[in-house]
Amino acid sequence: MSEKTEVKDVDRSLHDEKNEEKHRYKAQKGLTPEVIREISREKNEPEWMLEFRLKALKIYQNKEVPTWGADISDLDMDNIITYVRPDADLESDWDQVPEEIKNTFDALGIPEAEKESLAGVGAQYDSEVVYHNLKEELVEQGVIYMDMENAVKEHEEIVREHFMKLITPNDHKFSALHGAVWSGGSFVYVPAGVDVDIPLQSYFRQNAPGSGQFEHTLIILEEGANAHFIEGCSAPKYSVNNLHAGAVELFVNKGAKLRYSTIENWSRNMYNLNTKRALVDEDGVIEWVSGSFGSKVSMLYPMSILKGARARAEFTGVTFAAEGQYLDTGAQVIHAAPNTTSTVNSRSIAKDGGHAYYRGLLKATDNAHGAKASVSCESLMLDNESKSDTLPIMKLQTDDIDIGHEAKVGRISEEAVFYLMSRGISEEEAKAMIVRGFVEPIANELPLEYAVELNNLINLELEGTIG
Amino acid sequence: MYNKNLVDNLTTGQSKLLSSRRKESYEIYENLTKGDYKRINLFDYQFPEYSPYNKEYLKEKKWQQELMIKKMTDNLNNEEEIINYLDQFKDKKVKKGNQGLDPKYLAMVEAFYNTGLFIKAPQNVELKVPVEIFYELDQENPVLIDNNLIVAEENSNLTIVIDYRMQDQNLKAFHNGLTRVIVKENAVLNIVKVQRFNDQSDNFDSNISLVSNQGELNWIPIELGAKNSVTNNENTLIADGSRASISSVYFADGERKLDLGFKMNHQGRHSSSEIESKGVLKDKAQKVFRGDLYFQKGAGQAKGSEREEVLLLDKTVDSDSIPALFSEEDNVEGEHAVSAGQIDEQRLFYLMSRGMTKAEAKQLMVEASFNPIFDKIPLNDLKGSVINDVKTRIRS
Repeated sequence: MSEKTEVKDVDRSLHDEKNEEKHRYKAQKGLTPEVIREISREKNEPEWMLEFRLKALKIYQNKEVPTWGADISDLDMDNIITYVRPDADLESDWDQVPEEIKNTFDALGIPEAEKESLAGVGAQYDSEVVYHNLKEELVEQGVIYMDMENAVKEHEEIVREHFMKLITPNDHKFSALHGAVWSGGSFVYVPAGVDVDIPLQSYFRQNAPGSGQFEHTLIILEEGANAHFIEGCSAPKYSVNNLHAGAVELFVNKGAKLRYSTIENWSRNMYNLNTKRALVDEDGVIEWVSGSFGSKVSMLYPMSILKGARARAEFTGVTFAAEGQYLDTGAQVIHAAPNTTSTVNSRSIAKDGGHAYYRGLLKATDNAHGAKASVSCESLMLDNESKSDTLPIMKLQTDDIDIGHEAKVGRISEEAVFYLMSRGISEEEAKAMIVRGFVEPIANELPLEYAVELNNLINLELEGTIG
Repeated sequence: MYNKNLVDNLTTGQSKLLSSRRKESYEIYENLTKGDYKRINLFDYQFPEYSPYNKEYLKEKKWQQELMIKKMTDNLNNEEEIINYLDQFKDKKVKKGNQGLDPKYLAMVEAFYNTGLFIKAPQNVELKVPVEIFYELDQENPVLIDNNLIVAEENSNLTIVIDYRMQDQNLKAFHNGLTRVIVKENAVLNIVKVQRFNDQSDNFDSNISLVSNQGELNWIPIELGAKNSVTNNENTLIADGSRASISSVYFADGERKLDLGFKMNHQGRHSSSEIESKGVLKDKAQKVFRGDLYFQKGAGQAKGSEREEVLLLDKTVDSDSIPALFSEEDNVEGEHAVSAGQIDEQRLFYLMSRGMTKAEAKQLMVEASFNPIFDKIPLNDLKGSVINDVKTRIRS
């Protein structure tokens, strides 16, 4: 008879550390135009941004909660404190960052990462960026990497031209909410032809109970520019359901190339309803690398809009759903120009009653002739308490295209385990090797620190297998 | 139109239990709102005026003696048996995905059917010749609402061919049908359904089956006609080792629209299923393919596969594919694959270099793709005429 693989939970204690709350200002519970005005006043924003927020609030109040996908009826919007500002002014010198906050970040390994290879750190603590640094040579090249609040003021024109143009408040309820209460996030601008050879990293986390996180990330790559942005999330555990409704807007101009990597590892009471979109012009490239491990509920479908000829999108994702988790993730690609190409490669693992759902969209519009796309989804189920679903939707509106899709679901192959055992490897190690091999295509795409983190995560789980 | 009076008329002369079944279904029908098929822009569809269907639809042949064949609209003396079979479909087998066509369309058939057959292959009966059913619509019989029940008892083996067709190219006809199928232990049942209505007519068809231990059900649905064709084929593999397959072919041209749903619902251990669909879209045709593989908890060692191939002949077509894989059981093997695109240019070029015109070459390649499924049609005449129809449509 076949043996089942037992996989224990990850040791999350590192990520679940929390500090005592200390705030200068805390918005009242519930959402009213007054709250929005307060937020805007507190941020000292230009008038147009306040107007934008109020308009988005109206849309938010009139939009229904989506009925498909995850059950989010537990989420009490009136009870979510939308804006919490940490007790620290913007610091560019690490030494001046308050000790408490530093300790948490130290536990997450941020300063080390910076020392070694990172160009700049924009770590979001609660809702605002507390630490920012960028290597001087990048500044000289004209690269801008700063927190979103200041970008609105200092680079008003360019921000206004792009801000929530790709993801609009009309898209869905949570994008409207985001438009109304967004706070924090990163702004990256890379001028034409500049190659940022070291990854830009923003490792942010939530800290206040019941506070939503609505960070806005706006990245603009001018013609021929090249950059890699890394977003990582980790939040401590609280009893109140937490909401994350961020927005990521990526503008990739002609011939530019952007890689956007994320490992989401939210605590398991988090509702992660994030929206990510990239607009790619002629010969541009967007590469998404996405790992979803944490949160109670995730609904995350990064979209690539290939609007210029020969634009390319690549998506590599891994989703790991354990006990009590419902992770509904996937990739969306819109081929809206000739000879565009896309590759989607998704792996998911479900265990201990976790529910992994791949939901994707592939669309080719009527002028996408010569488009090529391939989608591949694989799901591994580690027990029969868990669920794994795959729903890749394809919509093709022209003839001259080449589309391929494959999906598979199953458990660890007994033949493979048997083969490895016949080679002298223990059963436990054989199974561990197979799971590691399963996520390897994704691990390979991650920068070293993150690949190590991913491997540690998987290894921790697999250590529990033995016995 | 579709009201209480009509139900009363239809139940006059019909046996008691089936009559009350009609009346119950009418109550359900009354309280439902019709669903829309938004992917093919079919909103608020209006059923046409009711009209009886008076033509003979069963080809008399010697299999009449070996099988039990009755018209559902007649006064039947075995209606208890029929009701017992129908009751097996009552409890909902699935929570997920599509559950037949829209409930209102189903209730409409059950309340207002104007034709329909009960076909039963008794235990151990093996039929060499296929049962042939022809539903042919014309001026006098423009509305077809057929309610069929097919039962293959233990160890039986039979093939049924149902041909939905019409000659008249200008008539605007309507079909809403329901075919329920029960395959018992070790039985093998093949059902070929050919739909060739004209481009003015609308077609709605639901097929629901239950397959028992080691039973085998093979569907061959061939969709070549109708302005709007919405079909659903849902199979529940209820017991150990049950098997089901669907080999579907469709061809849509002009401004025709197809919404095809196929579903395999695995409950039994070692159950296996296969969905294969091959289609061609031409002109401004629009199609939606929905394929669900659902492994329910307890369906250990079940296997399911789903494959869709679609050839796109023009840049004005619109092709949606929604293959879904739902799994609650780890010990299963499920996979699906979709490939979509135009005809391979190199092959086309090769054929043309051999003296074929472009149209001929395309036609040959479409035939090559369809033939493995057409070969499963057990009647040579029918097969020939289906191939001819495809040829005509490609050329036009």
